[in-house]
Amino acid sequence: MTRDGPSLLIVDDEARILSALQRTLRREGYEIVTAETVDEAFEILDRRDVDGILSDHKMPGMTGVQFLGEAGRRRPAAVRMIITGWTEEIPREDLEEVGVCALVTKPWDDAKLKATLRRALGGGA
Amino acid sequence: MNTAVLVVDADSHVVRCNDAAAAILGRAPEALHGSSAGAWFVDVRGQAVVERTLAEGVRFKGAEAMVDRVGGGAVPVGISCAPILGPGGRVRGAVATFQDLSEMHQLRQQVLQTEKMASIGQLAAGVAHEINNPMGFIHANLFQLAEYAGDLRQLWGEVEQLQKVVSQAGSPEVREAAARLATLAEEVDVDFLLSDLAKAIRESQEGSERIRHIVQDLRDFSHQDNGELSLADVNQCLDSTANIVWPMMKHLVQLEKNYADLPAVTCYPMQLKQVFMNLLVNAFQAIESKLGASAETGHIVLRTEHHGADVVISVADTGVGIAAGDLDRIFDPFFTTKKVGAGTGLGLSTSYNIVQRHGGRIEADSQAGEGTCFRVVLPVDGIGDDA
Repeated sequence: MTRDGPSLLIVDDEARILSALQRTLRREGYEIVTAETVDEAFEILDRRDVDGILSDHKMPGMTGVQFLGEAGRRRPAAVRMIITGWTEEIPREDLEEVGVCALVTKPWDDAKLKATLRRALGGGA
Repeated sequence: MNTAVLVVDADSHVVRCNDAAAAILGRAPEALHGSSAGAWFVDVRGQAVVERTLAEGVRFKGAEAMVDRVGGGAVPVGISCAPILGPGGRVRGAVATFQDLSEMHQLRQQVLQTEKMASIGQLAAGVAHEINNPMGFIHANLFQLAEYAGDLRQLWGEVEQLQKVVSQAGSPEVREAAARLATLAEEVDVDFLLSDLAKAIRESQEGSERIRHIVQDLRDFSHQDNGELSLADVNQCLDSTANIVWPMMKHLVQLEKNYADLPAVTCYPMQLKQVFMNLLVNAFQAIESKLGASAETGHIVLRTEHHGADVVISVADTGVGIAAGDLDRIFDPFFTTKKVGAGTGLGLSTSYNIVQRHGGRIEADSQAGEGTCFRVVLPVDGIGDDA
């Protein structure tokens, strides 16, 4: 569902996470694009700009932190966030280094997730 | 380790013994003289070693057997036995040597337990991670479904109103459609369906919440990174933990505190508090299940002691106790006697891991029906640099 609010790219190799996140954010007014692989995500980023990126951490080929580091080089203005089931496994320094501004744990709390995104993207319905 | 020696005659009566033998058997040497050696071996294996040596004149090396210590129960020993041969190869007696293996057995048990914990910890971390992904969308979807169900209920309310209005005042086609709607609504039992939909979602949400807790426990079990290593006052750790759980138990429990002066202990205070919390909650639950609905109260005694290089913390309760058969398994991951949903069976194994990491040990004494006492023994400077 596309809206006129801030645009958000969500990357997760688990398609059901993508659809659950879209469900959760349905009324938040974001223009949401999704990618199931980092390659797909890079294609999207090469094609268009986005206001924010929310990425899974443990994915085949590249971790979310690595992906966000590269994504930041291509689209420096995009706000970058991680969503993961295991927050402890990511060293804080790594997060700061690639400019990750928020860490969301799975399973997520709907209200907190919405608040985090509103803060990060400064928009939403 | 001192080697015990028993010399027996051809009839298996003790003729000589050394102090080590007397010590292992818990008797004065004089009391052993003349007694039947076989009587000291509580298991068939031990008796057979001496009997066959005497009967066949053969030598036995390194069998494991149990001996009866007066006042101390069975002691595991490693026993060897050699015949004393007289003229013509006639067996005149035998020399049995044995060593107390209790300590070795304990060490072996500890090594096994540590290994088991390590491999299960690894497994648990992996499982917890994998579960969090599907739990992510299940949890979120249930939340959305609950909202959808609410919206549908609201919508149906309006549809019902509309159906009533048009069934009385509309064209024949509209009235007929309204009647069909009414019939179908009755067939599928919309009111039940909508309320049961909400109930099913609510129950699933409770289930998913429970899974979330289990995963959290698994994570704690395998991944102790909370807190920093510091010099801490163990009395204070114990006392502050007791204060946290006190409100929950005060209606059922009288709490007694006997704290000794303790040296500061090098430890992870947060982790120790987790251990104390676990022991306190278990103690409370044991009392709770013993007392049931009766108006009595139970006792929990918290005690700390300083013994040389160790501090000892004990939590004793007057609860249901632990069945003798369960006592060996209480530190095993996932072992629980609590009812479904009340415990994951990871509390004590997590505690075991934490105490182990502090270079200490945790032990339990229990009498079924009478109560249980857990002792945590911590070396004052137990944690090395590698911990």
